[in-house]
Amino acid sequence: MIEVKNLTKRYGQNLALDRVSFTIQEGTIVGFLGPNGAGKSTTMNIVTGYLSATSGEVTVGGKSILEDPNLVKRQIGYLPEQPPLYQDMTVKEYLYFMYELKKTKLPREKHIKEICRLVKIDNVYNRLIANLSKGYKQRVGIAQALIGNPPVLILDEPTVGLDPKQIIEIRALIKTLGRNHTVILSSHILSEVQAVCERIIVINNGRLVADGATDTLAHDLSPEHRLTLRAEAPEQELVQQVSQLPGVVEAFSLGEKEPGVYEVSVETEPDADVRRPLFSLLAQRNWPLLALKNSDLTLEDLFLRLTSTDAAYLPEEQEAASLDPEQDQGQDGDTDQDTSSPEAPEKGENEQ
Amino acid sequence: MIAVFKREVKSFFNSPIGYVCVAVLCALYGFYYYQAMALGSSGYIPSVFGAMFSFCMMIIPIITMRSMSDDQKNKTDQALLTAPVGVGSIVLGKFLACFFVYFVGTALGGLLPAAVMSTFSSPAWGEIVGNFIGTLLYGAAMIAIGVFISSLTVSQVIAAIGTFLISVLLMYIDMISSAVDNEVVDAVVQWISFNNRYDVFTQGIFSISNVVFFLSVAAVFIFLTARKVESRRWS
Repeated sequence: MIEVKNLTKRYGQNLALDRVSFTIQEGTIVGFLGPNGAGKSTTMNIVTGYLSATSGEVTVGGKSILEDPNLVKRQIGYLPEQPPLYQDMTVKEYLYFMYELKKTKLPREKHIKEICRLVKIDNVYNRLIANLSKGYKQRVGIAQALIGNPPVLILDEPTVGLDPKQIIEIRALIKTLGRNHTVILSSHILSEVQAVCERIIVINNGRLVADGATDTLAHDLSPEHRLTLRAEAPEQELVQQVSQLPGVVEAFSLGEKEPGVYEVSVETEPDADVRRPLFSLLAQRNWPLLALKNSDLTLEDLFLRLTSTDAAYLPEEQEAASLDPEQDQGQDGDTDQDTSSPEAPEKGENEQ
Repeated sequence: MIAVFKREVKSFFNSPIGYVCVAVLCALYGFYYYQAMALGSSGYIPSVFGAMFSFCMMIIPIITMRSMSDDQKNKTDQALLTAPVGVGSIVLGKFLACFFVYFVGTALGGLLPAAVMSTFSSPAWGEIVGNFIGTLLYGAAMIAIGVFISSLTVSQVIAAIGTFLISVLLMYIDMISSAVDNEVVDAVVQWISFNNRYDVFTQGIFSISNVVFFLSVAAVFIFLTARKVESRRWS
């Protein structure tokens, strides 16, 4: 439905977007995640045709925004970061105006009433927009985006300024809309994206740093996989036995947590599941297993990591890095001289 | 275009600004008509329009100052520019809305007193209509310039002052010609001067070249405004 290819946007010297590419299928809800100033709004503004990209291509429903702007704009309902409301109009006048502006063909009275009911603004229908609270203004903004029933909805931080109850309502609304619309919403609130979206695209410093399904993104992108186990066993022996299990990369003790009970952190190979061998081992030795938990990164840890360093986790980027001759030398150095190579610690950091 | 036009006109008359502009125009026309009447002859009507020239040029910046700048400031341009309408029709809608306010003021102030006079005397309607059209024409040109200047800034005040400066310049530029001794400069200045162009109308001459001049100025500045709005996408 939406295809973005190598989108780059420069504001003078400032590179706001750097070769961002993604494709969005019809009927999915996609979350744009990133800290303030990451380039979320810029991307949305380009997709909706408000800004032009310095280079790159955007197509919506197979039509290019540059070649058929009106056809593309007709398919998109857009709620910008600051709802584009005329303060001197009433809600009704404004929605009628947007209806005419978008050249909607649906029955006017019925269509607008329906939208008002959906976003719950029918009780302020005849009030001046200037006198509405922020939450209501936001909802009028959403209503405006829904006019004409466009197949694609682009919502830039739709829940900003709403109270917790309204936030829940709007999230539910977006989920409902997602059944027959393609929705892109941006947010810097992680839980919101997690609650609403099927897919997450993380942007930082104008670059796409992660892209994947909400449920598996954290697991897929975790650079390391870890288990923490707690067992009543002699410390040294426990660590030694566990680290010899197939699939275990490293195990080390986290200390005595209860009298005679030790906690061990186990790093495993990415696709190895060591929980069963671990259980057999402990059962054999009659070491009671008191706790076992997965300590993969949570989405939140991941978000913080992705956005706090410049390291990117895209496969392409990793390939590019391994093609770099300097990096190759570093890797060679690794095998020859162990960790004495100055590049080694740096590389280790990158991999995390 | 029609949607934008309707919204802008509504917005003029939702706030006092539309009424104030129309009222000021009517009051000034009324005053000059009164003078013409006091002089005792309906043949003085062209002088009414002549006197109104400078006032109209001063009121137009107030009509146009918010046309484009307000949208930028309130970010409502995001709604306009992401809607399936061309930039040209947005600008044209806004231009026509400003022109409509000016038209209402000029029609009420300029034609109504003449219509009243015609009940007891016989004013020269040809002259009056010619003057009225001339007034609308330089108004259209000046409004287009005002809309353009308003698209250059987000501040209404700067837009108003900028347009005001340009309108004063266009009014009095022909005075430069007497101070400059260069034939080329003189010719250019005479050619640009709104005053010279409009004077022809007050003499009761309907000159096509002047009609074309004012309409071209309007068209060029509407075009430039559309380019300016478009260029913001690329910055």
